[in-house]
Amino acid sequence: MTGPGPTGVGIGWRPEIAGFVAELPGLRFVEVVAEAVAPHGPPPPGLAALVERGVTVVPHGVKLSLGGAEPVDPARVAHLARVAELVGAPLVSEHIAFVRAGGLEAGHLLPLPRSREAVAAVVANVRRAQADLPVPLALEPIAALFDWPDDELDEADFLTEILDATGATLLLDIANVHANARNRGADPLALLDRLPLDRVAYVHVAGGAEQGGFYHDTHTDPVPPVVLDLIGELCARHRPPALLLERDGRWPPAPALRAELDAIAAASGYPAVT
Amino acid sequence: MRVLAAPGDTWGIPGPTFLGFYLLAGLAVVIGAIVHRRRVLAGPSSVGGAQLGPQQVAYLNGGNQLAIWTSLGGLRGTGVVGVRTDRRLAVGGSLPAGATPLDRAVHHAANQGLYARELGRDRWVQQALDQLRQGLEQQGLALSAARRQSAQRGSFPVFLLVLLGGFRIFAGLSNGRPVAFLVLAVIPLAIASALLARVPWRTRAAERALRELRRTNVHLAPASGPAYATYGAAGAAMGVALFGTATLWAMDPGFAEQAEIQRQALSGTGSPSVGGCSGGSSDSGSSCSGSSCSGGSSCGGGGCGGGCGG
Repeated sequence: MTGPGPTGVGIGWRPEIAGFVAELPGLRFVEVVAEAVAPHGPPPPGLAALVERGVTVVPHGVKLSLGGAEPVDPARVAHLARVAELVGAPLVSEHIAFVRAGGLEAGHLLPLPRSREAVAAVVANVRRAQADLPVPLALEPIAALFDWPDDELDEADFLTEILDATGATLLLDIANVHANARNRGADPLALLDRLPLDRVAYVHVAGGAEQGGFYHDTHTDPVPPVVLDLIGELCARHRPPALLLERDGRWPPAPALRAELDAIAAASGYPAVT
Repeated sequence: MRVLAAPGDTWGIPGPTFLGFYLLAGLAVVIGAIVHRRRVLAGPSSVGGAQLGPQQVAYLNGGNQLAIWTSLGGLRGTGVVGVRTDRRLAVGGSLPAGATPLDRAVHHAANQGLYARELGRDRWVQQALDQLRQGLEQQGLALSAARRQSAQRGSFPVFLLVLLGGFRIFAGLSNGRPVAFLVLAVIPLAIASALLARVPWRTRAAERALRELRRTNVHLAPASGPAYATYGAAGAAMGVALFGTATLWAMDPGFAEQAEIQRQALSGTGSPSVGGCSGGSSDSGSSCSGSSCSGGSSCGGGGCGGGCGG
């Protein structure tokens, strides 16, 4: 590690709320979408100010397509690496998902079948990426509304095998844990009990909404109480070093956003950053 | 080499001698004018952008009309001003705490059902704007008419020298003497005279404060897609003040369109010699501050001269 990893409660830095983030007095940790940062120029002004303040910035990739059958694109890894160096990041994160196949861009993150073959493909790609990254990589499983019919492993085994084989840490999305359990009629606590919680680098906390009998991980709605409760359950088992509020749109007034950060702090027992 | 006067010399002074003295005098007068101008236009060194409210910033950035839009943006942000289907303004609630005199005047005008473009003609609004301007003049950020005249006076000696050169060129030509070098000397002086006659309406201290505010509020630039709901009414007002009515359009396009607010984006490089730009409709009366709107400041029509972009 080039520096301390993220600690405490953070928030996803977005240009739309840069002014709000800049005024959070206790903030020690933000995440930035890596693809939104130009690799050669200076970081966006608001982000640069946070780096100067000593706030830990973690680049979060969304387009590496680590779960793709083809090898990960070295140019995309190089971009992630440059952004990490630009903001002095102690680690970077990416999804266990694929966003393109056979040259076609899906435009969003697609889930992998949980097969041995998929594990092998992900591991190979993660190792390729790790070889070119200057800092450790944290992997984030994604929300899925469905299971592939040929799944050989359950979620926990699937993740553990990938983490064991690559030495990567886990970026756990607690709202996804809720979403996946809710949408499949499973028990989220059972999953928490089986996940390697000691490998969690940090946790994503996002809002969502019930719609049509499914829970949608929208990132544009408030964090529901059930997800906050799940944070409590998670921390009772093994408290992660950091938790990050992910909000990507339909921004609420500043007091409401601060209240969400405070609620995450209260649920996890970390100091409030507001 | 000594140049002797010859019978044919214009005014009895040899051309090279006159040219030498003329250039020296020109240099001295221009330097004097610049020093005088810098002193008059300096403003206080102590005022920072953080001490200014959005409407003050707006006035310094774009004059009366931008201050009006800023007030309207803040009031719209708190939801107390709306627009009716006949495009007249309406009031949807009482004034929030901390409302400025301009807010009260705009709120009152909206309650009277004025069109947004008419706000600048409202007597109360004009009084509130005068109050705003006087406050800024007292702080040394806006230039009073007297100070602008004083700054302008610095260009008079340069202008007189240009006149002198012009007479000599005329006399020389009548005399059949060569005047090319003198013409070459007079042209830059004439340009300097014209530039020095253009006087900004805000001091360098105000320029500094505006630059600082544009830097610290870059998140409010419409290009960042600001989350106006998060930044609240004060953020919306500061966005209008710094970046023009493009902020109103980004924040509430329905309102901006219905109220017929002209779209105007202000870039971050206000040039000191460009006066107040009105973003409003061209009939918005006195869009420039004070009594004297110098020829250098191009106002009206929604477009802005020089560095204000458009």
